[in-house]
Amino acid sequence: MENKINSGRLLLIVSFILTIIGILLLFSASKGIVSVKTGLPFYMKQIIWTFLCILLFIWLKDFDYRNWGKLANILYFICFLLLLMVLLVGTGRAGRWLKIGWFNFQPSEFTKFVLIIVLARYFSLRNIERFSTLFGGIIITGMLFLLILAQPNLGTAFLFIVIFFTMAYLAGARGKHLLILFLIGLLMSPFLWMGLKDYQKQRIMVFLNPWTDPLGKGYNILQSKITIGSGGIFGKGFLRGTQTKLAFLPEFHTDFIFCLLAEEFGLIGVAVLLFFYYVFLSQIWKISMTTQDTFGRLVAMGIMVMFITQIFVNIGMACGLLPVAGIPLPFLSYGGSALFVCFISVATIYNIYKNITLF
Amino acid sequence: MEKRLKTFFNVGRILFVIIIIQCVNLQVFHFHYYRRLSDQNCIRTIDLGIPRGKILDRNGRILVEDKTCFNLVFVPYDIKNPLDVAQTLAEILNLDKNELLNMFDDVSSNPFERRILKRNLTQSEIAAVSEYAFKLSGIFVQAGLNRQYLLGETFSHVLGYTGEISQDELAVRQNEGLKAGHYIGRYGIEKQYDNYLMGRSGGYQIEVDAHGHQRKILKEIAMVPGNNIVLTLDQSVQEICKNVLGDRQGSIVVMDPRNGEILALVSNPSFDPSNIAKYLKPPYSNKKPFLNRVIAGQYAPGSIFKIVTEIAALETGEIGEHDRIECTGTMEIGDRIFHCWKEEGHGWIDINMALPFSCNIFFGTIGLNLGVEKILEYAKLFDFGKPTGIDLPGEKTGNLPSPEGSGGAINLAIGQGALTVTPIQLCVMISAVANGGNIWKPYIAKRIIAPDGKVIKDFQPGIKKTIFISDETLTVLKRGLRNVVKFGTGAAANIPGIEIAGKTGTAQVAQRDTNLPTRGAFACYAPADTPNIAMVVLLDEGSSSQAARMAGSIINRLYMSEKTITETIIGETEPIQSLPIGSEGFE
Repeated sequence: MENKINSGRLLLIVSFILTIIGILLLFSASKGIVSVKTGLPFYMKQIIWTFLCILLFIWLKDFDYRNWGKLANILYFICFLLLLMVLLVGTGRAGRWLKIGWFNFQPSEFTKFVLIIVLARYFSLRNIERFSTLFGGIIITGMLFLLILAQPNLGTAFLFIVIFFTMAYLAGARGKHLLILFLIGLLMSPFLWMGLKDYQKQRIMVFLNPWTDPLGKGYNILQSKITIGSGGIFGKGFLRGTQTKLAFLPEFHTDFIFCLLAEEFGLIGVAVLLFFYYVFLSQIWKISMTTQDTFGRLVAMGIMVMFITQIFVNIGMACGLLPVAGIPLPFLSYGGSALFVCFISVATIYNIYKNITLF
Repeated sequence: MEKRLKTFFNVGRILFVIIIIQCVNLQVFHFHYYRRLSDQNCIRTIDLGIPRGKILDRNGRILVEDKTCFNLVFVPYDIKNPLDVAQTLAEILNLDKNELLNMFDDVSSNPFERRILKRNLTQSEIAAVSEYAFKLSGIFVQAGLNRQYLLGETFSHVLGYTGEISQDELAVRQNEGLKAGHYIGRYGIEKQYDNYLMGRSGGYQIEVDAHGHQRKILKEIAMVPGNNIVLTLDQSVQEICKNVLGDRQGSIVVMDPRNGEILALVSNPSFDPSNIAKYLKPPYSNKKPFLNRVIAGQYAPGSIFKIVTEIAALETGEIGEHDRIECTGTMEIGDRIFHCWKEEGHGWIDINMALPFSCNIFFGTIGLNLGVEKILEYAKLFDFGKPTGIDLPGEKTGNLPSPEGSGGAINLAIGQGALTVTPIQLCVMISAVANGGNIWKPYIAKRIIAPDGKVIKDFQPGIKKTIFISDETLTVLKRGLRNVVKFGTGAAANIPGIEIAGKTGTAQVAQRDTNLPTRGAFACYAPADTPNIAMVVLLDEGSSSQAARMAGSIINRLYMSEKTITETIIGETEPIQSLPIGSEGFE
């Protein structure tokens, strides 16, 4: 019982700390030579987003998580429409954004959360041990996957596949079935490949092997490694980073924010960050182990999968272990849509946790 | 379930350990290496640009190719005294000092990347820059590529041009390896087949000293050349057409009616593909030099449309070959009076004479009897109102009106109604007459060839559809079209030695007795019995007999000049026919 109380509170405290770290890093970034000439600096915007997210959290923490399940179908439909709209009228970098009034947002971020809800509901209502259930699940995921792949947002599309397979595995799908499905996917991929246009193929090639573009993405990766490596054990000190200030990296406030931390706070900073992430994830893990409700457990696990994958892919990319994927680092990367999804997720987990104590 | 959850969490732990190991590797074991690189800020990239493939005519003559040139570039970070540098450059190269300072000051992208200051330096400019090199830190002369359009304006509307990629396009396409300063196809074939023409950029990743000078090459990537495109066009035919059209505003398109290959496509006024900026400003821009009149100019077809009316009338049996109608010069329908172009009228004539003399009363009457719907049905058969599908960007469809908005049967029947067409549509139509009913998809790119000579794509002619026209109708129509040139309104196209068949058309903008400029057009094919050329000449300001004269002159030069031209056009599907030289006067 005592353990449970700690879990919920810890989750909130750690989320808050991570958000603060993000804002500090964005503040440091704003001291660089490249700054946005119009509008508020990133850290100010992020502070505003944070306040909005806290309001959202306060409102959502008492929102019974089982209601998400009831809303699953309609949410899925909305996401489907939004993603379709992005393809038709998308704006901004790589056309992933949707502008509604003054509000720019990225439907693919929200879709991550909705996919988890939809899959959790679907797997909790059906017999996961049957292949047909699994096949239905891949159809559900596949529709969103294709829409996101077409943007093209390869990183997020990849994330969807990971979420599907891991959730199916955790929900209790048979290993044999998962293997068959995986092989089917592998066999189908050449057809998918042939259906792509030449420029889409080239994007995927550069994504998979950035060294085919050593003056662009390959250069980014080298600079990213220099930035991290030059931080050393103790770092160059807060606001004293040189690499990130000189704008070697184009997306240092979003995709490469880890470099900022590694440069200014060194290996120690990296260890502290990973420690907080670890504490955060293990609370989610504990909550999903404790809850008896299948839907709630699947939601919690899905969210955990999402966070772990994002953390690993984002940092792995910055360290030069993985291709440049354009996936945000949870709580740290600049961006309202990404932060919203983090806070909705935390609120949902918190609600699941509170419902445990009722039993 | 719980067991799997534990397994999964352990996988997560392993992933965390991997991250830690890599960070220790970078931050502890390679710390000195990366710290040094970071302290010196000494890594630069040099991008040499994207090479593009050649474009060749059907005989392999080069129309466009990349040539090496020298560009002046700068690295913002390496310019220590922007004021001095700008001052010196302004003096020796005659550039605007403030503009230079603005460029140096632009911090929107990577300050270590070379950016182009001035393209295509002359020898003396290079010499001047080298002479003052000691004053110009951060300024370099770098090899680059310059697209050269060897024939200037002659091919401009076919080949199009290239232009630097914009910020917005870059945002969407940066993952394709495109960067600021790269050129992409903007118009014409350059745009249509951009993905094939574009190679991949090459360059170097280098380490530099404190002055920004290269110390060693870290990574090198070779340029990948783009694919070459062979066109269906023939340089000689194109040059003849361009010559004949001269400075006149208008367009000429020549097509092979047996397969839809475009042999020449000229639109005037045109532009110089290597100096686009000049044509975007008045006075050049006033005459719309970037409008490809062949595919995007939409005109009333005038009397050329009588071909369609005649087919409709003969096919439906509305009129027989020898049925006569009296033309008194005017025709009263309700309270409106229609005029024939010949004031005193043509008298009693049948269809065999009405077409050569382009009698409006005759065709107006049969149009009235056919009705608007029937005429539009036949117009639709010839795909008016639809794009022909030619492989150039920006094709317009013309207007196939609804029966209510057509302007009435009489006007429609003589091509003066609301129906508008593009010259390429007229060319496809006259080709269908020439070949007995096949609507071809006109095309310009014949073949795409990889740099190693491998054929990547071989474009085949494509029939869109075949219209059924009976032999009787065709015989009457073709004889009529031949007579247009022999003794009718198109007599200006009559040349000895080659039998040309065609139809004139004048879009009468106003009443016939006013002196407003008219649009003169001529659609034809030759030789009349075994056509291997179809052509449309349309003058924005001029008479149809001027257009006919031009068409005749072009065909004359094609057939009478060197063998090489005729060989490539005629020789492919059948041997050259012995030309009936001196057969004028008899059929």
